[in-house]
Amino acid sequence: MQRSMLQGVIVNLVTWTLVLLIAFPLLWMIITSVKPQTELFRIPPTWFPETITFEHYWRLLTETPFLTYFRNSVVLATTTTIFVVALGTLGAYSLVRFKYRGRETLAMLVLFTYLLPSVVLIIPLYLMMVAIGLSNTLVSLILAHTTFALPYALWLLRSFMEGVPEDLESAALVDGASRMGAFRDIILPQLLPGIISTALFTFILSWNEYLYALVLVNSDSVAPLTTGVMSMLISAFNIEWSLLMAASVMMSLPLIVVFAFLQSYLTSGFGAGGVKG
Amino acid sequence: MADVTLTNVRKQFGTFVALENLDIEIKSGEFVALLGPSGCGKSTTLRMLAGLEFPTSGDISIDGRVVNDVAPGKRDIAMVFQSYALYPHMSVAENIAYPLKKRGVSAADRKVAVQKAAELLQLEPLLDRKPKQLSGGQQQRVALGRALVREPKVFLLDEPLSNLDAKLRSYMRAELIELHRRLGKTMIYVTHDQLEAMTMANRIAVMHGGKLQQFDTPDAVYNRPANRFVASFIGTPSMNQLEGQLDGALFHVAGHSIPLDRTRFADDLGTGDYALGVRPEFVAIGDGELPAKIRLVENTGHEQIVTLELTDGTRLLARTDAARRLDVGQNVQIGFHPDAIHLFAPGEEGPRLNKNDAASVIPMRSR
Amino acid sequence: MIATQTITPRLERSYARLGVLLIAPTILVFSLVIVYPLLAAIYLSVFSIYTPTLEGNFVGAANYVKLLTGKAFWNSLGVTLIWTVGTLTLQIVFGVGMALLLHQNIWFRSLARSLVLFPYFLSTVVAVLVWRWLFNDLYGAMNHGLMQLGILDLPLDWLGSMPNAMIGVILVGAWKYFPFVVIAVLARLQTIPEHLYEAAKIDGAGPIARFWDVTLPQLRNVLVVIVLLRAIWDFKEFDLIYLLTGGGPVTSTQTLSLLVYQEAFGLNQMGQAAAYSVGMMLVMLVFMVVYIRKTGKEG
Repeated sequence: MQRSMLQGVIVNLVTWTLVLLIAFPLLWMIITSVKPQTELFRIPPTWFPETITFEHYWRLLTETPFLTYFRNSVVLATTTTIFVVALGTLGAYSLVRFKYRGRETLAMLVLFTYLLPSVVLIIPLYLMMVAIGLSNTLVSLILAHTTFALPYALWLLRSFMEGVPEDLESAALVDGASRMGAFRDIILPQLLPGIISTALFTFILSWNEYLYALVLVNSDSVAPLTTGVMSMLISAFNIEWSLLMAASVMMSLPLIVVFAFLQSYLTSGFGAGGVKG
Repeated sequence: MADVTLTNVRKQFGTFVALENLDIEIKSGEFVALLGPSGCGKSTTLRMLAGLEFPTSGDISIDGRVVNDVAPGKRDIAMVFQSYALYPHMSVAENIAYPLKKRGVSAADRKVAVQKAAELLQLEPLLDRKPKQLSGGQQQRVALGRALVREPKVFLLDEPLSNLDAKLRSYMRAELIELHRRLGKTMIYVTHDQLEAMTMANRIAVMHGGKLQQFDTPDAVYNRPANRFVASFIGTPSMNQLEGQLDGALFHVAGHSIPLDRTRFADDLGTGDYALGVRPEFVAIGDGELPAKIRLVENTGHEQIVTLELTDGTRLLARTDAARRLDVGQNVQIGFHPDAIHLFAPGEEGPRLNKNDAASVIPMRSR
Repeated sequence: MIATQTITPRLERSYARLGVLLIAPTILVFSLVIVYPLLAAIYLSVFSIYTPTLEGNFVGAANYVKLLTGKAFWNSLGVTLIWTVGTLTLQIVFGVGMALLLHQNIWFRSLARSLVLFPYFLSTVVAVLVWRWLFNDLYGAMNHGLMQLGILDLPLDWLGSMPNAMIGVILVGAWKYFPFVVIAVLARLQTIPEHLYEAAKIDGAGPIARFWDVTLPQLRNVLVVIVLLRAIWDFKEFDLIYLLTGGGPVTSTQTLSLLVYQEAFGLNQMGQAAAYSVGMMLVMLVFMVVYIRKTGKEG
């Protein structure tokens, strides 16, 4: 008894040490973001800030185009998510519950594209956007984001759709609903947790995406946070780490919100995302 | 009320033939059980009647109308699923009202109909609950309520009792018989449980390997099984089937001969391989010429199931009353009730060769 | 039997039509943004195109000849393999280890789990900024922390020299992506029936034997899928490496993804870049086919 309790304490200590080590970069990000400039460049660094200041946040919001980037990212990620989830939900319904020639091939194609490297598509996409006059617009980024978000969402939603018992749809059909009626009345409400999970994943993917933004967009007015914040690093005369850390914290805000309130949807998405076995 | 007929219906999934040239005619108001082991095609048949699967060829008609191209909701049928398929996000009342809603019944009328169904099935206190908050038996009754609320012509039931425990199952069996009597509607009931089929149905369609084996009354499928499959599938324990040779009026098995009453069997039977069938209750221990050894005695309290072994190692079962003293290892002489002997052609589905008019109907009580 | 008419019922046909209608928008978008660019990439790879003007001329297999005979592709392939194997190994080892620990009865388990999970969902940009700050040679917490612990005597140049740059990139990659392994393994661990452990205990198996004989065989399938999936994703990783080192010093951390980008938008040779990307895809195809086979079988 005594021994197993000791064992438990040791396991706890080891685990929490590792957890804190893993979380340290994040804590360091927050700590740095509230340190005054003078304290930042001290050697050795202070592990806990001696004074806490929010001046960097204030400067970020008032003196840099951060809010423009933020707005762009919100528009980009939201539009991509709505577009992709809407298409993906209908597509997943079709792939799972309908029979027609080529359906299996299509499902395989989705899985294939889900694994495709972005750099293969980026060159032709760039040329395409230039050709149709969409380069340097948010629309071009939304279209580019569908290249990874749509296969991803379809694959996830397909899994969730398979989890909705087929009998429910059959029952609705017998009860007098049409296919689309059954979809609206019965399947959609059952699929809702899956849709939320997929939407969160898609939003995060789009929010975090860097490469397409780097290639397709080059002006501040349409740049999302990823390239926008990076450009703050590169263009700065001397790198203002506090400002960058404040930007990092702000940029992670949606994620923190999701983690605080909707984490179960993220974990359920994992189960559906092809990591079965 | 409606007749239901399947005419030459065939169903293929890819290259797998699920149903072969099925012909079934169900009369209006009948309670028919589709019975068979899993994979026999009974559920596929039911789903085709519902319009959830489509026949590869052949016609399905309900009430004289070919419904091959009619959507499930327009066939005037209702279906109860094995999983109940209650809509999880709707309350009991909403579940029951859903078919009416889809038919454009007004909210007020829906309420009346739901109330009526709830009364019939004793669901009134549960109307505001969600399916998740109900027990299996209650869910079952909600599924029934949803099926009968809009008064369809035909009820389709897909193993509706298989998810209930034994006690509730026998209670619901009685309820369903009562419901059928009261509504007088055509009911088609899929089950793998012969007890359900035997006790509830007017007629039983025994299916195996995508083929209809026999479609007759419970009495007929028990006493006059069409072939060896039906004979072995119906009845617990199943009918003994001894493979041997027929030679005139003698059936040779295990080095012995059993005399047969040839007038009871088809006249043109030649010499050769056949199977002799006899139900365990007609195997008499200590009354006959066939030597056997007792291998196992299972006493269930009101009867004993005795496993016997013939001299060549063939095993068969006998059913005797529980009071009789029998010892394992004991050598006995056994015999078969002459009016209870069936003769089958060889093969898994070898047809029965008795003359049906000289039916061996033995009164149930005399067993 | 042959004469049996097999006319598809009208209802079945109308369902099939509806099914096609529902997938049609997806197919349209797919064709436009994935299939067409994919084919275009192959088409472009036989041209020589100057990026700023987008003018080009047909060069046949010249780009591929350069791919096969030049050093760049093979060098990058080697770098990619080192990066993939290195970071994947760490991800799996730490991921499985952490999952086993988090599967125990830990104080504030859900908080611990959230903290471990967080890096995976964090933007690569944020992760890179934080780590570059940590790796900062003058004021970075990494060097000072390690010096205070007595592991280092002098500050290290983490990202600017080899092999530190590669080690740094692999470390950050492992930190960012190991939570994926944790979640997947943790989910599987929770479905291992308790009675297997009880049976092993009765048979006299200690904790280590139980891990090898019960846990690991149960994890085998999920680990195969994780390794394949992560191998594919790590192989094509761009953001993390590009932002941390930009492929440097010189080209010592330039993976294939970076090579393609560099060729197209740094050296302005789009045709050559397309050829590299096609070559890269062919290498990946091996993993993809294995993964698709594996997943397709289950579905």
